[in-house]
Amino acid sequence: MTQAIAEKVNMDALKRAIDEVFYSQIDSTTLYYFQSCVNCKACEVACPFTPTSLHYSPVNKAEISRQLYRYRFSIWGKTIGKVIGGSKKYLTLNEAETMVDYVWHCTNCGACMFVCPMAIDSGALIDLLRQVAFKAGMVPKIYRDIADLEISGKYWDVDFFKNAWNSLISKIKDAIGKEVPLDKKKSEILFYASLYEAMVYPDVLVKVAKILDMLNKDWTFMSKPLGIRPPIGLVIGDKEGAIKVMQRVYSYFTDISPKYVMMTAGGFEYPSLRYTMHETFKVKPTYEVVHVTELLAKWYENNEFEIEPLDEIITWHDPCQLGRRGGVFEAPRVLMKALSKKFKELPSHGVNSFCCSRGGGGCGVPTMVENMAKTLGIAISEDDKKFLDSTIEPLIKAGKIKVNEINKVKAKEVMTGCPVCIESIGFSIDYYHANSQVKHIIDVLADRMKVNKK
Amino acid sequence: MQLPFGYYPVGNSLYPLALDLFMPTVFFFFFGAAYRTARYFAFYNKPFVPYTSSLRGISTREKIKDLVNTFANSSKLGIKRKPVTTAAGLLMHISLIVIIFLLAQHMVFWAYYIPPYKVLFPLAIPESSVDGELAFTRASLPLTPTPYPFVHDIWGPLTVILNGQYITYLLMILLGIYLGHKFHILGERLALRAGDWWFFVLLYIDIILGFLATSHIPNNVVDYDNLLGAHILVAEILIATLPFTRGFHMFEFYLGKMREWYFTVYRRGEK
Repeated sequence: MTQAIAEKVNMDALKRAIDEVFYSQIDSTTLYYFQSCVNCKACEVACPFTPTSLHYSPVNKAEISRQLYRYRFSIWGKTIGKVIGGSKKYLTLNEAETMVDYVWHCTNCGACMFVCPMAIDSGALIDLLRQVAFKAGMVPKIYRDIADLEISGKYWDVDFFKNAWNSLISKIKDAIGKEVPLDKKKSEILFYASLYEAMVYPDVLVKVAKILDMLNKDWTFMSKPLGIRPPIGLVIGDKEGAIKVMQRVYSYFTDISPKYVMMTAGGFEYPSLRYTMHETFKVKPTYEVVHVTELLAKWYENNEFEIEPLDEIITWHDPCQLGRRGGVFEAPRVLMKALSKKFKELPSHGVNSFCCSRGGGGCGVPTMVENMAKTLGIAISEDDKKFLDSTIEPLIKAGKIKVNEINKVKAKEVMTGCPVCIESIGFSIDYYHANSQVKHIIDVLADRMKVNKK
Repeated sequence: MQLPFGYYPVGNSLYPLALDLFMPTVFFFFFGAAYRTARYFAFYNKPFVPYTSSLRGISTREKIKDLVNTFANSSKLGIKRKPVTTAAGLLMHISLIVIIFLLAQHMVFWAYYIPPYKVLFPLAIPESSVDGELAFTRASLPLTPTPYPFVHDIWGPLTVILNGQYITYLLMILLGIYLGHKFHILGERLALRAGDWWFFVLLYIDIILGFLATSHIPNNVVDYDNLLGAHILVAEILIATLPFTRGFHMFEFYLGKMREWYFTVYRRGEK
């Protein structure tokens, strides 16, 4: 795939992209990330792609951005660095090919930052390379087409999407036995969901609505989704596209003006819409973006409902973006401990949770991406097919580690709070024939909640 | 041959030269450190903080506990998943700190330039386990029949392992492992920087020079002066270039971890 992409590279565009990205994005944080790495390789142990190859270890992937930084921002880089290969003004075709390969082998899960003795976020540096790749037109077409559809807002013209969303609203209506409150301003809770979720786990969304109704909450749902999985642009390196989508999202959130924007997805959209969006626009929102587990844990601790426990070993997989990037660790555990006295932690949990190897980097489970493209009428080229196939190996390698951990704690149910984690861990469980199931926590919780009458 | 830096009475040796260059080295270090720090200020943008969580705030006590975890996490995970290199790395750091700041001879050096350093003298680690005697040149092992009371040191029996000789052996082995690791990286065509060689090779050379000098190998005063001078000179090169090399991590380590804790624990106000 990468060779095919590289052959089509416009070298002038690549040079412009390198200059633009590296001259525009330096601040004291990135400066620290660039110059303080001691190459100790401690980050290797945390990266889900290292089991595929040491070349995919965070420090190795990020080195390309360091070389480009050194040339631009250090005297040594411009002089001796050039001679000894420590810095590069631009990349050759082969180097560009390697860069593209590397950027799609990083989910920006943040595990490397927490294990790095210097707290360097290699994902942030690899993200710069992803932006270079995007600006140079080196993003796999299949991702770009999906992101473009989201940015343009034309996803709502796609019948399949419209039907999926309307069908979801119908199902919610059936479940609660009344009209779904849509786009209601000043509600306490704006129940936020994306088109992607409506397609991969509509039942989970229906159950969330049912819970809100059971608990007699003042809530509202969206008559139209705000994107396919907004803001996709952030994960493919399209910052400007992401800003357009975030503007749409922010405008809607502000217009509805709830107390809480409640999400069921704990993938990259969680920190994006909670932190990045407001940091980018430099606005202090009047609402708080939260994950469904945060609100449920609060209500559970307030004795608004009880949970009928399971009699089996269950475990929680911390989604990278919800946990490490989002900071939500405790709330799901409050619920998990109530769900079973046999709740066990995976050997890697909390800030050290081992990433499922999909998601944030744009590498969805290949079959899922392929199916989505087919549904949208996006042609899958030979290059795209090769690219998607190349993403299988890391999924299998990282999946083995995840499945071994699940087997170690003998968990019957693996619960989590991110649609992509469910897809990828589900893939691994099937691949390795593990005796376990992976579900969204709501899937299990909703059926075991007993509302306390006030 | 007369050295070009001035007249030195003890046989034109490197030792007085090294001593004379110590203050310029310190000046150069501070200049470099100021340059590096100034760059951070030059590129500083005040981060915009949208809000902290009102749902699951954590107590100050928990925040402090998380601060400790922030610093410890790397070692804890490393020991689990990469036990050999992590243990080697940790031991190497401890050994280096101990030998640089607590070896008796080094302490005298530091106290000369920074007199209050003398308060740490009771913690001085002897060169060998048999008091100030040069066990190596006497061809006696550290585990000699010397009775314990003969070791006049706060570390007591611990000096059997906590002595300059043993720690130097250990450092040579551990740094050897690291250097070997660098060659492995080179072989695998993974990212390897000139700075890695600069720091590790110089450090290795410096430790060997220090070891030879303190052990009086070869055993004559001219060689001793030159070896000791070379040891100090190499250390000065390392110190002077610290702000421009990976060596600066001994200061930035705290900055990075504090930043991580501030943004991931303190600022979010939740866990």
